[in-house]
Formats: sequence, structure tokens, C-alpha cells
Amino acid sequence: MPTTFFGWVAFLIARYGDLFLRGAGVTMLIAGVGTVAGFAIELGVAIVRTARLSAGAGPLRRGALAAAKAMLSVYIEVFRGTPMIVQAMVVYYGALEYLGLDIPAMAAAFLVVSVNTGAYMAEIVRGGILSVDAGQKEAATAVGMTHWQAMTAVILPQAVRNIMPSVGNEFVVNIKDSSVLNVISVTELYFMSKSAAGTYWKYFEVFFITSVVYFVLTFTVTRLLRLVERRLSGGDSYTVYGSQSHTPAEIKVPLAP
Amino acid sequence: MEEMIRIERLEKRFGNNPPVLRGIDLAFQQGEAACIIGPSGSGKSTLLRCINLLERPSAGRVLYRGQDVALLPPQVLHARVGMVFQQFNLFENMSALNNCVAGQRKALGRSRHDSEQKALYYLEQVGMLPYRDARPRQLSGGQKQRVAIARALCMDPDVLLFDEPTSALDPEMVDEVLRVMADLRQRGLTMLIVTHEMAFARDAADRVIFMDEGLVVEDGPPGQLFTAPQNARTAAFLARSLRG
Repeated sequence: MPTTFFGWVAFLIARYGDLFLRGAGVTMLIAGVGTVAGFAIELGVAIVRTARLSAGAGPLRRGALAAAKAMLSVYIEVFRGTPMIVQAMVVYYGALEYLGLDIPAMAAAFLVVSVNTGAYMAEIVRGGILSVDAGQKEAATAVGMTHWQAMTAVILPQAVRNIMPSVGNEFVVNIKDSSVLNVISVTELYFMSKSAAGTYWKYFEVFFITSVVYFVLTFTVTRLLRLVERRLSGGDSYTVYGSQSHTPAEIKVPLAP
Repeated sequence: MEEMIRIERLEKRFGNNPPVLRGIDLAFQQGEAACIIGPSGSGKSTLLRCINLLERPSAGRVLYRGQDVALLPPQVLHARVGMVFQQFNLFENMSALNNCVAGQRKALGRSRHDSEQKALYYLEQVGMLPYRDARPRQLSGGQKQRVAIARALCMDPDVLLFDEPTSALDPEMVDEVLRVMADLRQRGLTMLIVTHEMAFARDAADRVIFMDEGLVVEDGPPGQLFTAPQNARTAAFLARSLRG
């Protein structure tokens, strides 16, 4: 048996290395799926929440939209207002005891993280939409686009670019917070670490390794997302055509019918 | 001559504020180029925005070819009655070409090929063909506005609304946009132009409407309105504007 701290660290890595790796893999899978699915949920929610009906819409459509908006508000408030660890318990054991559904822990994990992320991103996406000039929506309306078309073709592409830093932040939060899913026995990094630590009663050494792994994960993701962000906002240099000395943009007149 | 737009007792107020429009009655014939002038806050832009329902009128109604615009499907209304904005409002996430294509594809359901052909045609007409792939942020104000005009024309509108199309432009770029607009007049397009360009209103419009405090004060051919205004307020406004 090792006698020093680093001796123990080396020993535990050799003994449980693949456990840490598998745990890290599950953590990344949950965080990745949860962030992407949560983001998709929230984009959909944002489209509904920003919808305005035209003057000619009947009472049925008005009522349906109002009901949908109310339900989405409830969803956002409830999932933002309760801890994810509690949501995991409620979903997993609720499904089991009241619906008779023995859903796999991983399925419950995906569901909880996605839905939770969706609720958190509500305000982020709303902020992103507000950051897009109102004239963009008016112009889309003025060329005959529906609300859905204007949102998907014009508004959200611009909003998403603006909120990429916050989405990356949410991804990092998910990598870390998915650790609470150990309460429903999801074999993510924290759960694996706890198992490894128990065997030799070496909690400090194991969780030292665990924290290094978490940090490597979040740091890598942050750097990668920075690259994606730069891609989305386009190159730093571009040609400005609108100068007085640039002549090709002459107006051909007269306009033929 | 068919009547394209008729406005009946149109009123608009925002919240509990005093009304911006206080009963407007106007009619526009096919092919007419009408300039709407007046001091800031007189309701010119609001009037224009009520015609294509970017604002909902508080009272009264607007007819497009005899049909109440509030009852028309919004996509149909917006394809037939186009708009050019003061701030251009080009779609920032799209090239000049796609700015002209998007509306045709989405609202008119045209094929990509047909949409592009039409877009290229109009981009050439406004002299922006060399910049078909440019993003809005690469273009000057005048160029953006020319693309915006091409985008509106691609929808084959009957009526085009211009909301202060040159007010956000540097002086040297105003002329290029006004030239394009003067040429459009030859095509039989009905044009309603809110503008502060008095020389353009005088030289290129069939009709000039002076608005003040939410009402139409004077309405007539430019020759009459500019040389012999019937109303004291019109005369005072023109004296101030033309001096500048």
C-alpha cells in the first residue's frame, strides 16, 4: 500500500482510471445532451412566448396561445425555483411509484437536465431576442413572414450568436451540477468517485483526482466554445464596400418594367 | 385608374397619451407617388405604419383595393404593400442576395431559382449586383437602403411605403437613394413617401400631403403646395424647411 499522498493518487489512478474515465464520459454525455436539448426546448419556448396574434385572429386561437404561454410560465418558474437534486428524485421515484414506470436512471438524467436547462435558459434567450433590433422583426413582417418564419430565419440566428457565451456558461454549470444525479444512481463522475473512494477509505485523494478531471472537462469545453463563438461571429476582417472611392456600385437607370 | 389605398377616419393613440392620428381620410390611385411631409411628431410615420398594420389603428380603417387590410391574411397584405424603413432593417444575418430571397421563399413560396433570378434582377436595377454576397455591415447606408428597396420590389408589391428612407443617410448618399425612387415612379408603382426631402417632394411627387398634429392640413399637387400653400401652417412649415 502507498504511504504518501501522491503515491495514493498514482495508485488510485492506476486502479480506477477507467472508472474515472467512464464517469467523465457519462458526465459529458449528460451535460452535452442536457445543454443541447435544453437549448432547443428554450428556443421553442421563446418562439411561443414572443408570439403576437394578428388583429383578425379568432377567440379560439387567442385562448390557445394565452393558455400555452401560461403553461410555459409555470414550467419555467417551477423548474427554476426548485433544486435539480430534488427534481431528479421527484421524476425518478415519481415515475416508479405513481406511474409504474421503471425508467432507466440515464433517461431520467437526460430529462431532468434538459428540462432544467430549458427553464434556466428562458431568460438568457429572452435577453438574446431583446438584443436583436426590433426593426429586424418589423422588416421580416413587412416582407410577409409569419412569426415562426421571422423567428427561425431572422431573429433567432442573431439572438443565438449573441447568447453563445451564456450557453457555454450553462454547459459548464451542467458538467458540474450533473453530479447531483448520483442520488438516483447515475454512474457519472461523482458517483464513480464515491464508489472508488469507499473501497480504500481515501476520500481526499480520490476527490482530488475528481476535481482535476472536472476542471479539465470544463476548461476544455470553455476553450472549444470560444472557438465556436468566433466562428459564429465571422472573421475579424472584412471588406467594406461602402466607400466613395469604390465605383462598381453604380445605379443602372432607368428601371425597366 | 384603380384606387389602391383608402384610409377612412383613421385614429391612433398609444396608451392614454393624446392621439397621434386624429381622423385621417385619404385615398391613393394606382401609380400615384405621394409625399407626406410635416414636422416631427405630426403622425406621418404612424400613418404609414397603420397602412400595413405594423401598428393597429385605434379607430377607422384602411382599405387595400377595397378590402379591409385587417381582414386580409397578413402575408398577402405584406406582399402587396411593401415597406422601406428609415433604418434599412436589412436582415443582419444574411447576404444582400438572401435579404431579397428570404421573403419570396417564405411568404410567396417561390422556388430558390425563381427567387434568386428576381433578386438578381432588382439588385442590378439598384446597382447593387456587385455586392450580392456582402453582409449588411459591409455596406454604407445608401447601399443598404438600395438593397432594402430591391428586397421590397422582389415581392412584386402594388404599393410601396417609404418611411423617411433618406433620413438616416449621410448627405452624399441621399441622392443615390432618391434616384432609385424617382426611377420607380416610372414603373407605375404606387408610392407613399414620408420624407423631409423637400426638393424631392417638389420635383418627383405627383401629390404632396402636409400633416400636422395628427391631421391632414393640406393636400395637393407639389406645384400648388410649394408655391401657393392655402394654409398658414403649411406656409410656415415650408418657409422653415426650404430656408434650411
